[in-house]
Amino acid sequence: MSTRSIARDALGLGLRIPHYPWLFEHWPEVGYFEVISENFLGPALPPRARLDAVRARYPVVLHGVGLNLLGHAPLDEAYLDALCRLADHVDAPFVTDHLCWTGAHGVSHHDLLPAPYVPELVELAAERAHAVQRRLGRPFGIENLSSYVEFGRSTMTEWDFYASVVRESGCWFMLDVNNIYVSSQNHGFDPGAYLDAVDFSRVLQVHIAGHTREPDGTLVDTHDHPVPDAVWSLYARAWRQGGPFPTLLEWDDRIPPMPEVLAELAKAREARA
Amino acid sequence: MSDRVPPHWLGELQAHFGAVLRSPLDRSTGTLRATPAAYDADAVGAVLDGPRARAPERLAVYNRQYWFRLFGVLQTAFPLTARLLGHWRFNDHAGRFLLAHPPHSWDIDHAPDGFEAFLGETLGDDTARDALLEAARIDAAWRALFRAPAAAPFRPTAADAARLLDARLVPSPACAFVLERWPLLELKSALASARGEAPVPLPAPLPQARWWALVRESAGIRHLPLEAREGELLALLRRCTVRDALAALEEAVPAPERAALPGQAQRWLARSVERGFWTGLATEPPSGDGQGSTQV
Repeated sequence: MSTRSIARDALGLGLRIPHYPWLFEHWPEVGYFEVISENFLGPALPPRARLDAVRARYPVVLHGVGLNLLGHAPLDEAYLDALCRLADHVDAPFVTDHLCWTGAHGVSHHDLLPAPYVPELVELAAERAHAVQRRLGRPFGIENLSSYVEFGRSTMTEWDFYASVVRESGCWFMLDVNNIYVSSQNHGFDPGAYLDAVDFSRVLQVHIAGHTREPDGTLVDTHDHPVPDAVWSLYARAWRQGGPFPTLLEWDDRIPPMPEVLAELAKAREARA
Repeated sequence: MSDRVPPHWLGELQAHFGAVLRSPLDRSTGTLRATPAAYDADAVGAVLDGPRARAPERLAVYNRQYWFRLFGVLQTAFPLTARLLGHWRFNDHAGRFLLAHPPHSWDIDHAPDGFEAFLGETLGDDTARDALLEAARIDAAWRALFRAPAAAPFRPTAADAARLLDARLVPSPACAFVLERWPLLELKSALASARGEAPVPLPAPLPQARWWALVRESAGIRHLPLEAREGELLALLRRCTVRDALAALEEAVPAPERAALPGQAQRWLARSVERGFWTGLATEPPSGDGQGSTQV
């Protein structure tokens, strides 16, 4: 269990390499930073040194992209060991990853890939997520994906699937409202209905981000734009329904100067009003 | 950890889906395009048509993401090589490498491992082959230094001095020695702040090859010039005992140089220790490149 805490209404930022020079000069007021776990699991010294400088001043939470919770293979024990060591090292108040698969049959695809929404996989994911949380010894949150396909095999809605995994695992929901919006547009469901099904007492954190519209109208979760109005609206609705919750802005590509990113993050306060 | 066995169909679905992801992008039109018509039929059959796109086009989003993400990772890992080839040609080599060696680790930074060796096989009789391979080796060394763990420098004691000759200096993982035949390190530095995808011209070969030490410091990676014989000695010290390295160097130099060699070698050795090129002394033979510094 972490000795550091994050205010329930805190605003946080996904920490990326281009931020470092400005951050290390100005040390702005930020509620907390989230780092991509895999970027710090190896022995390389420079990333660790930067992370240590950040964690000396801010709470740091971990966000993974490589757990492979719904992979056909068992969870990677070495990966989990390294993740636990990192979580202990930064004294992370919580750790999150995605309810997805990232590789199979010995090949890692380095993408967050969806699986059919069926009760059989609720049981698999819940059992694995529960084991991960127990091993971490701190809250573990499961994030909903942006997705571009639906499977004929699915027998549940996405929101029922996630809610069931969260409930049965005893873990937490890492709710990404941009991902809800992207998937709702790609699959034709009502994002409000999704939020209505969320048990906000189990929401650990909310992510906001921007996305891109492809020529055929498909929305892609690129994190390379400001947060669109439609996502802010959905965020405002989530806040009314279940706030307060820690809110984190992800901006991963075409990253503007840090003051601009912080200004985008500050818009969350306006959206809550 | 969980003992629950995933359903068999999940493994099959993920195998078919993975085949779609790794379907090569078509280059025939001068841009990289997904070819949904060629996708694994079982993967397409498992996916529903959507309100905006049919099943194959929906899968194409993942297919494009797979390749563009990994091309980006390889371009970042081999920036000098990518700019000398230009991104279009570089991606061709990267694509063939990734088809032959798909990523296996959860750490995406491992995906480019071995690319420099693969390039040696795939460049064929390219007129710039030697320079491109030198660039790839420099990129690989740079990358290895960045990823190296912290290592305390060797600070010899009196007892170490007594056994120095018959021991081997253990190379620091944060240091590499580079023999350069084209001014590629200079080009690499210049390109670091100049983004672009077009090929940059290969500079003219140097009149004489030159040695550098690449050293990771807190402010980044620095390259320090080495005298020619100094570079040869340091390269020998990576794999031989100090006594054998000195003997090999003495044998390699022309007779007129030999008289001055002992004094020079002592100075180079002392300077290499001061600069932190080593982490200790060992009596066993080196266990391979992963153990210590890289020589390019």
